[in-house]
Amino acid sequence: MYIVRCTSFFLLFLLLPLVTLPIQRFPKPEFETNYTQPSTQIPVPRAELLAYLDVLVLLVALALVSWLVLKKRSRLWVFAMSVFSLAYFGFYREGCVCSIGSIQNVSLALFDHSFVLPLTVLLFFLLPLVFTLFFGRTFCAAVCPFGAIQDLVAFKPQSLGSRLNTVLGIIPYLYLGLAVLFAATGTDFIICRYDPFVGIFRFNASFGMFLFTGILLLSGVFIARPYCRFLCPYGVLLNWTSRFSRRHLTITPKECIQCRLCENSCPYDAIDFPVTDKSPESRPLMVKKMMMLTVLVPFLVLIFGYTGSRMQDTLAGVDYRVKLAKEVMALSKMQDAKAGSREPGAGSRKQVQDDSFEIKAYKASGKTESQVYSEASAVLKKFYLGGWLFGGFTGLVIAMLIAGRMLPVYRKDYVTNKGRCFSCARCTDYCPIKS
Amino acid sequence: MPGRREFLNTLMRGGILAALGLLSGAVIFRSRDGKSCSYGFDCSGCSRSKSCMLPAALEARQTVWQLDMTKCIQCGRCATNCVMSPSAVKCTHAFAMCGYCDLCGGYFKPGTKILTTAAENQLCPTNALKRKFIEDPFFEYTIDEELCIGCGKCVKGCGAFGNGSLQLQVRHDRCKNCNECSIARNCPSQAFTRVPANKPSLMRGLGKERPGTAAKKGGVDA
Amino acid sequence: MKQKIFIIAGLLLLIAVIGIMFTDLFSGKKQEQTNPYDYKMGEIRKTDSNQTAYTELLTIKPALVEIHAIVNGDGDRIYVAGKNGLEIYKGDGKPDGNFSFEGVASCMAIDKRGKIFIGIQDHVEVFDQIGKPAGKWKSVSPESILTSIAVSNSCVYVADAGKKIVYRYDLNGRLINRIGEKDPQKNVPGFIIPSPYFDLALGKKGELWIANTGRHSLEQFSDEGVLNSAWGEASMAIDGFCGCCNPSHFAFLHDGSFVTSEKGIERVKIYSPKGEFTCIVAPPSAFTEGTRGLDLAVDSKDRIIVLDPERKQVRIFVKK
Repeated sequence: MYIVRCTSFFLLFLLLPLVTLPIQRFPKPEFETNYTQPSTQIPVPRAELLAYLDVLVLLVALALVSWLVLKKRSRLWVFAMSVFSLAYFGFYREGCVCSIGSIQNVSLALFDHSFVLPLTVLLFFLLPLVFTLFFGRTFCAAVCPFGAIQDLVAFKPQSLGSRLNTVLGIIPYLYLGLAVLFAATGTDFIICRYDPFVGIFRFNASFGMFLFTGILLLSGVFIARPYCRFLCPYGVLLNWTSRFSRRHLTITPKECIQCRLCENSCPYDAIDFPVTDKSPESRPLMVKKMMMLTVLVPFLVLIFGYTGSRMQDTLAGVDYRVKLAKEVMALSKMQDAKAGSREPGAGSRKQVQDDSFEIKAYKASGKTESQVYSEASAVLKKFYLGGWLFGGFTGLVIAMLIAGRMLPVYRKDYVTNKGRCFSCARCTDYCPIKS
Repeated sequence: MPGRREFLNTLMRGGILAALGLLSGAVIFRSRDGKSCSYGFDCSGCSRSKSCMLPAALEARQTVWQLDMTKCIQCGRCATNCVMSPSAVKCTHAFAMCGYCDLCGGYFKPGTKILTTAAENQLCPTNALKRKFIEDPFFEYTIDEELCIGCGKCVKGCGAFGNGSLQLQVRHDRCKNCNECSIARNCPSQAFTRVPANKPSLMRGLGKERPGTAAKKGGVDA
Repeated sequence: MKQKIFIIAGLLLLIAVIGIMFTDLFSGKKQEQTNPYDYKMGEIRKTDSNQTAYTELLTIKPALVEIHAIVNGDGDRIYVAGKNGLEIYKGDGKPDGNFSFEGVASCMAIDKRGKIFIGIQDHVEVFDQIGKPAGKWKSVSPESILTSIAVSNSCVYVADAGKKIVYRYDLNGRLINRIGEKDPQKNVPGFIIPSPYFDLALGKKGELWIANTGRHSLEQFSDEGVLNSAWGEASMAIDGFCGCCNPSHFAFLHDGSFVTSEKGIERVKIYSPKGEFTCIVAPPSAFTEGTRGLDLAVDSKDRIIVLDPERKQVRIFVKK
């Protein structure tokens, strides 16, 4: 009900700039000519209704793409939809808020109760996950503008081989872990900070960012969708939900005839080849492997967790409160040194920058030194726990990957890898069997 | 075998759905500390009782970025750190606070003797601040937002010598409302905050307060 | 072969991307610390030290929460008024009494008999030397902001920054007339007061001077409101009055010279009775940037007493 109320309110003000009434100033000017004082114009932000419209577009696009992928099995239509998504979510919406970035909003909202998480942002986080849980990563196929733009430059995609895919595949997990850690501690939204494509959508970026985007896109010429496969933190979540999806894109609509036509059709190495070498491993070997794993998993988790906790300072060093505390500490040390020794030469020590903007702002804020320190140490504490969790998570991921490679596989046909497949429907075009 | 796998899949699916549900529940029905809520920002002005239990995310406003001039130390990063160029932060004029001075600290370069609109007299690096004669001795100052780059030079001059009617503000017709504001990340005084989209301004001198009552406290006139 | 080169190229670029992100995040590089658009206040706050003819002799630190007004009374006793109270000091800085009252005093004057007139927001309250209330005058308007009071033998002048006018009262608080209303026929330009600083003082011969801050001038009026003379020039340079509206306060030396204080560029200066710049009492470097409301008083030995509301000090300057 509330939503309806506020949206109708905003409809009224949709295009009207808010005009504030002039108040009595000090002291009121007494103009004798018939001059009327202009009122200060305050432009209204994008209407809230439009944010709900975005959610609606997201919902419809997800449904449509899922249908195109699973029922129509048409690469052409999926491509058309990806162009639309690029136009709408990319160039029209200009990026924010996107599902990838929403991970951070949700994380921060979980830990900081004063942080406002609008329903639209939550929906942007949830909807693609729920769709993926039922239909596979159709979000990646043609709804996410990041995927769409990378698809456009994948001119010479190369197969990387399974080992390289596995190793590079760890990076998104680390990125996700760091993003959640920094968001939950209220430090930074690093996914947004290193968002490579938003500058393109806005036709506006700093030179450094432009270069960053350029390099990534260039690597995307040879490695198809490098961001999606080896960076995207949301991709991790989608990967895991997709593995348990109720339905998923299949290369062939009927029985696989082993024609091998699809073998090179996937630019993302997301087709699992048949493993027919049916040599069921001996039971004792399996038991041995399982025992190794039961030791390996906790060992890796602990080792990495401990390492993570030791990285507390490095991780917390990103936080602005910790940075400020360091500067303040250096400054007070310098002042102590100055006050302590009056001999000439004592002042020759390298000057700490005592007029940095951060220090100026700290002085102007009226905060005491101990306040700054206690804030910083609270953050450090969070990073100690966060370091353990992040490290443990990393260890677990690595252990899982090792386990994945150790366990025996038997596959009769060419099938899509449900985790990695973006449901782009390219392979369907290669399959000679049409429903 | 396929039956068992199917069953496991369904089980996991249910598990993931439940996890997502729990997560959503946690952020929608999160507790409030009585100081701030998802309406946001401040419970003190709220007519609801402190024990209100409306789901937080359901009623939450969209937020936009805005800058609080009382914290600003005028480092100039608003002009250089916005993802937009020129910046979405602009100088905004609270006419109701302006002294309409002839010798405007925000308009003229320090040391200007003859008060004319000659380009060499102007403090603004882009000539975005316009001066118009009203009547002796009053002059009106307006901002050409197309030219303004949000550097805050005039804001500093006005604050030092005048009433502080020139203020930096995020202009939401230009702001892309990044999920994380690039200026906010680099602002040394944490002057950027998320504010409710229906109250996007943090300008001073437009509200109900009467600046004169802060006389000599270095308040609004500072 | 070609395939391999492609893969390696792609991988190297990808690694570069990750490397950039990683170093940018963890290197802890310093942010830009220069403002390309800095308004350089440093230059205009600099003064020629040869022009500074005074030096700070004594600093008094009153206990009041806020201090706003200062007067030199009989026997060179220094009266400091501010929030909820008044303190009295001897010329050497030793406390010599205090009393409290309700409200924030913004200005103050003392008559020959020792009666203390204090402007509190929009009205005047009168006290005797020990703080016994001796009258509360009616406020002219709720919009009034009283910023200065002076007492002669027969009347009390009160400056109202809110209404931009000076009132002349008799000693009992009866309004006699208003001074300084805009009147083109009498050649009175009217006061332009863009900020709540509006001072007045009585000169060597008891003549009334009023600071028309918006015009950067000091104007001399007769009791009947006739503008007799005026001087003052707007300038950031040392010989002029800076900013939108200055001088914020002024007082007189015994030879009739003007002591003026400014905000914006905080400085205290002396002008000859003709209005020619003479010397600096306190340069901007003597004050915290952003200080406003440097009220002034002069004692019998021509020592200049400056009230520094920012540092909450009473600072006494003497000739070098």
